[in-house]
Amino acid sequence: MKCGSMDWDAAVTWTANGTDIDDSRLNGSYLVLRNVDLMQSGQYSCYEGSSWHLKYQTYLRVGTPPKEPVLMCRSNNYPKGFYCSWHLPSPTYIPNSFNISVIHGTREMVCEKDIFPKNRCHIRYLQLFSTVKYKVTLTVTNALGKNSTTLTFDEFTIVKPDPPENVVAKPVPNNPRRLEVAWQNPSSWPDPESFPLKFFLRYRPLILDQWQHVELSDGTSHTITDAYAGKEYIIQVAAKDNDIGTWSDWSVAVHATPWMEEPKHLTTEAQVTETTSTSTSSFMPPPTTKICDKGAVVGSGAVAVCWTAGLVLAAYGVLFI
Amino acid sequence: MAAAETPSAALRRRDLCSRGIRLARKMRSDVADLLDAYVERQGLDASASVAALDGVPAAAAERWGEQTESQRLLDNLAAYRAFRALLTEMLEEQREQAAPADAALREALAAVLLQVSAFAYHLEELLRLESRGPPGEEGAGPPAGPRLGLFERKLRGLGVLRELAQWAVRSTRDLRQLAKPGPGGGGGAAAPAGPAEGQ
Repeated sequence: MKCGSMDWDAAVTWTANGTDIDDSRLNGSYLVLRNVDLMQSGQYSCYEGSSWHLKYQTYLRVGTPPKEPVLMCRSNNYPKGFYCSWHLPSPTYIPNSFNISVIHGTREMVCEKDIFPKNRCHIRYLQLFSTVKYKVTLTVTNALGKNSTTLTFDEFTIVKPDPPENVVAKPVPNNPRRLEVAWQNPSSWPDPESFPLKFFLRYRPLILDQWQHVELSDGTSHTITDAYAGKEYIIQVAAKDNDIGTWSDWSVAVHATPWMEEPKHLTTEAQVTETTSTSTSSFMPPPTTKICDKGAVVGSGAVAVCWTAGLVLAAYGVLFI
Repeated sequence: MAAAETPSAALRRRDLCSRGIRLARKMRSDVADLLDAYVERQGLDASASVAALDGVPAAAAERWGEQTESQRLLDNLAAYRAFRALLTEMLEEQREQAAPADAALREALAAVLLQVSAFAYHLEELLRLESRGPPGEEGAGPPAGPRLGLFERKLRGLGVLRELAQWAVRSTRDLRQLAKPGPGGGGGAAAPAGPAEGQ
């Protein structure tokens, strides 16, 4: 760095972020920085030797040229359009500018940039059902270089709805094996009547790792009929266009426990003899229920018969073999 | 103004649309399998670009959402009649090549041709319900063009099957629009202007 208009042999002092720089870094009045790294970013100032007049000041930003950006395009609002979003795999530490081009056949399409987030833009479909692929090229440029990436895809392959919303799961009164689940179409899907979604529901008791799955071609509700009595369940739903594209991410998980009968007051002979002030005593079942053994579950329609120690509960199911 | 539809006509229309949707979805699934087999047997690159082909109805539509019922039905019928002729031509070409290993391909092609014919007939039924009646078929086959070389014919076949696959999806959407109750879909003749029909 040259110290303004100072001669090469002038006596100067350089500082970096207010700290004097050792003379060994100087070549005459020039400051020479070798093996520059990110730590050397900062304000550099040059002062005339005796008067300490500021002769030159600059802010040095150390950065890197951009690596190949990561680009993703998706349609969560088919058939209105699609969006593309991008990011850099690692920061450059200096300002970058992004330019995106979208070509469909011979036509260049406009990608309207979002205000927030800044790394996304939207394209409106001008045609539907086209066999011509879309080609999206993103170029990132900074003071040290540029890089780009290109995605080519069909109209159908990028269709991926947002997850279903407002998933609710409720027990069914007087039904210890059932849970009613209801949800709504994602609000971003513009026309579910003309472009209906199908759904995939998964559920499992918290105590087990294996999910049960149900695919539903219409409707936004389902009744689970094979829940384990008394067990808390975790339930999620995903959505997909009936004909094209891929499944959404799973919805937010909801929890529910099937209806349980109120514990009856039972009187046993042993408890009557222990009682001193009352003629009957009430028996409370233990606070925890026994975990059903996975091995006791056989076949798709089978349920385990669960026993608590020392107490026979009403049978909740029949073991089918 | 569209004529009011009788309840039985509305029911018949919805029934035809539902069955048509099922036909179209099955057809799409079979065309997808046929496409894979065709690409493999013909030694083509699945990602090869095929330019717009003469005589092959393109499924791509601008302002698809604004189409009238009539337009949808007529566009679909014209397309499937064209595909019927194109697939017949492809099948004849395959038979000429007569490689035993391609027998399965020919069978799959014949099966799709049957579905295309059935779908075209289904569309004609829908048009009759609209009291329009299907238009007459112009010419017996695809427009005669210069005789293509073997590779060009293979590429053309690829283009035909790709467009048919897109049409199968479009037809599903079109029939859903037709099945919708109300002025936008369903309900009487779809002519944009003129006297009420079919009352």
